[in-house]
Amino acid sequence: MKTEKVVLSFIAILLGLIVAAGGFYFLQITKKTPSSQTKIVSTVSPTPTPSSSIFLTLDQPKDEEVVDSKTITISGKTRPDAVIAILINGVENVTTPSLSGNFSIPLTIGNGQNIIEVIAVAADGESKSISRTVTYSEEDF
Amino acid sequence: MKKILFIILSIILTYSVLSVGTYLAYSQTITPDINIKEQLITNIASRVAQLKLVEKRGIIGTVNNATNTQITITDLQDNTRFVDVDEFTKFTSPKSKGVFGISDIKGGETLGVLGLYNKDSRRILARFVTVLAIPKVVRGGVASIDNNNFTIDVSTIDGKKVIIDVGYTTSTYSYSREDDYIRSGFSKIQEDYSIIASGTLDPKDENKILATRILIFPDIPFIPKTK
Repeated sequence: MKTEKVVLSFIAILLGLIVAAGGFYFLQITKKTPSSQTKIVSTVSPTPTPSSSIFLTLDQPKDEEVVDSKTITISGKTRPDAVIAILINGVENVTTPSLSGNFSIPLTIGNGQNIIEVIAVAADGESKSISRTVTYSEEDF
Repeated sequence: MKKILFIILSIILTYSVLSVGTYLAYSQTITPDINIKEQLITNIASRVAQLKLVEKRGIIGTVNNATNTQITITDLQDNTRFVDVDEFTKFTSPKSKGVFGISDIKGGETLGVLGLYNKDSRRILARFVTVLAIPKVVRGGVASIDNNNFTIDVSTIDGKKVIIDVGYTTSTYSYSREDDYIRSGFSKIQEDYSIIASGTLDPKDENKILATRILIFPDIPFIPKTK
């Protein structure tokens, strides 16, 4: 009789476990993931490789930037065989890029607004230009 | 009968205990998620406050319209920009000798505006407005040279013809791989050289530039199709 009770208790516990596990499983599969927690996987297309024609990109300075130093760095990338003319308010500075096409040059700007025009002229005569406005100001407002 | 009752009671008891256990375990796993979410919201809100909606910016543009509270300009990228002015806005003009204000600003003038740019409204609240005389830059190729009048006809990259007037004050430089960046002169300029010239627009002739600086590239031919 005692053994019978123990066996029945075990069976009862086992049944309870099965039912509880079933309930938990049901709870898990019906659980909704909030959209904010959903990971959005996007594929980023690789940076296009510049073709043989002239290209020019400027990393610095940003357009309409306000700076409190008169020396700024102008950096970017172009074709390695290009010559870079940087005109600050119409006054030119000439530099050449590295073998990888990168260039970086510190230059002095004037008070107030400065128009910086970067022109890359390739050896075959092709050219490209980018213009930026950089303002020197120490005013606090 | 007792046996059956015992079995039923055991099942109910076990299920109840396990259900409570499962619920507690589930609620414990949910609580950190809610905490993380709240933490994230707080962090984002504080970050947004840090980034601010306004930033200092300096723009240049040509005046389209000016009223007592607003100036509409076209910037260097041909975008229409709205500039708000208030009692704190300071106006200056190098040509003006006396008091200069918004009522003195005329359409077509080039302005430099320094102020607070609102990223939301995309308007700039001007703190300093200055009338500028920005140099005109021309790049292209030498089409012809007039040795008598000291002018150069330049074909620009967009197919236009511009006359470059070379005066006594014009500084001419040359760049080549061999000689690097050297001082040059009007006599060294030849047809088909690539050229960059900067100066002021002739008030009498809008196709003529009174050059202040010229840069020539003797070993680089000019290609009109480039942009």
